[in-house]
This record gives sequence, structure tokens and C-alpha cells, in this order.
Amino acid sequence: MSEFFLTQVINFGTPLVGLILFLGALGFPVGASVVVIAAGAFSQQGILPWATTAVIGLVGALAGDTLSFSIGHYAKDWAQKRFENSTLWLNAKNSFQQHAGLTIFLTRWLITAVAIPTNLIAGGSGYKFSHFMAYDIAGESVWILLYGGLGYMFGSQWELVNDFLSNFGGLVLGLVIIGFGIRQVIIMQKAGKKEAYKNAEA
Amino acid sequence: MAANTNPKQKALVIGLIILGVLFTAFFGMRVARAFRKFDGHRPPPRGEVETDVELIRDWMTVKFISHTYAVPERILFEALDISPNSNFEKSLKDINEEYFPDQDGYVLDLIKATVQTNLPQPPTGPTPPAAP
Repeated sequence: MSEFFLTQVINFGTPLVGLILFLGALGFPVGASVVVIAAGAFSQQGILPWATTAVIGLVGALAGDTLSFSIGHYAKDWAQKRFENSTLWLNAKNSFQQHAGLTIFLTRWLITAVAIPTNLIAGGSGYKFSHFMAYDIAGESVWILLYGGLGYMFGSQWELVNDFLSNFGGLVLGLVIIGFGIRQVIIMQKAGKKEAYKNAEA
Repeated sequence: MAANTNPKQKALVIGLIILGVLFTAFFGMRVARAFRKFDGHRPPPRGEVETDVELIRDWMTVKFISHTYAVPERILFEALDISPNSNFEKSLKDINEEYFPDQDGYVLDLIKATVQTNLPQPPTGPTPPAAP
């Protein structure tokens, strides 16, 4: 799929980068990160104007994030009714509210695989839109400048950068999952000790 | 883990940690491999024309390849023996499917060979004055 879009970026230029990043932010499998790295390389080769491409790409990504946040926001009442008795949903909501800023920022450029669920949870949990936007702008800017910048640096050899970054994101996601699991074990152990102490006292 | 923990919850957490370990091992190996490749390559010096034809891919267009390798489009279309009209924006893969449907990868290989033989000569230094 991303190969088709790369051909179209060569042919239609900057507006298509904006459109692809918009679709990517909505969850369509368009290979948005590949396009950002390639756009950086195409800028270095004189095919795309780097500044305009970066701005239009950023606008496209922000528009897509805003729309997916809105979907979560308008589905809030439905989710509330559907999951009001689910402790898992309540825990997820509370946990998100505690680390919302960092989560939004990191899922824009480091753990991109969970960016869409993050947008939906942010919208659905009643997180303030202005705060979401601030972290979103910061994260998407890092994504475009870092990924696009590496593409620009490596020029026609940008595929090496893509290979490295796409796997690095998976590695970080794996470490986050392990960290989350260990945290749950510690919480469970603490709860177990508390209960045992209560039972002993009684 | 506490003995009185809900067994369902316990299984979920263990499953999560196993998933995390598998993810980390799989992507960790891929990162290490990508890093080794990364380390062995250096980007071409700024302003210099690309000369490595192995970087040509079938999603590229003739126009793009011509720009990247500084080989005139006319030479590439002549090698393919097709008209440039309406083929400018087509990828090598699309050209292959349209004109050479029975020869998989033919266009990519032909373009690589044509670019290789028509790469611009690197600028040579000033020639020493002839001996008297």
C-alpha cells in the first residue's frame, strides 16, 4: 500500500503528503511514517520543498488526530452506557488521565502503533481538547522533524532509516508492555499483602 | 504474585508479560540487524548524484529515476522501447504490467542496467600540462 502512495507523492507532491498523514491519523493503513521519512529524502533530492511539506504534513496529521479525538468524544455517551460497570474501562480511563500528556506525546512519534486508540480514549474520557492539541502538536512536530530529518540526511538511502525506526517502535512497545505487566504484578502483590494483613488483624 | 489474586487477572498479566517479551525479542533482533546495515552505509555527499542502482525500486517512476541518477528520460524510454507520453507518471511496476505482462521484473532490471551504463562521469581533476 505504501509503495502506491510513494509513487503518488512523487507525482503529486506536497498536498498528497498532507492527505496521507491525515488518513494515517484516522487509522488507514497508508504507511504514514514511511511517507514522512521518504518525504524528507525527496526534499533532499529536490523533488519536494521541505518547509512547505513539513507544514502541510503537520496540518494533515493534526486534522486527522482532531477528527479521531472527536469520534471518541461523540462516542463518549455510548461508551459510558456500554461499559459503566466495567472496572477495566474505569481503570483505563483513570490511568489515562494520570499520564495523558506523556501518552499523547509519545504515541505521536515513538509508539505510533497505539496512536489511534489513544486519540479515541482521550476523546472518550473527556480529556480537555486544548491540552490534547498542545501535546499533539508537540508530538507530531517531533515525528515530522525527526523522521523527515533523518530521511533528509540519508537521502536516497532512506529505506535504511525506515527499517530501523519501524522496528525500534516495536521494540519500545514491547518494553512498555513488559513494564505495564510488572507494574500490575506489583499492584497485585501490594493488594494481596494488605488483605493478608487485614485478615491477620481480624 | 499474591495467592488470593483473581486467577483470570493473574493469567491476563502473565500473558501480557509473555507478549511483551516476545515483542521485545522479535523487534530487538530486527533493530540490531537494521542497525548493523545502518552502520555500514553512509549517505552520499550532498550535491552528488546517486550512483547505486541497487536502490532503484519498482514503485519509482522513470521521471524520478532520471532526476535521481541524472540520466535523461529519453534514454530510459528508448531502452524500454515505449513512448514517454502518458508513461511519465507510471511506476516501473505499472509499466511492466502494461507492456511486459509475461516478464516479471523485466522493466526494473532493464532500467537498472540502462542507468548503470549511462551514469554521468564523475568530474576529473585538472589535467596536468603536457611535457615540453
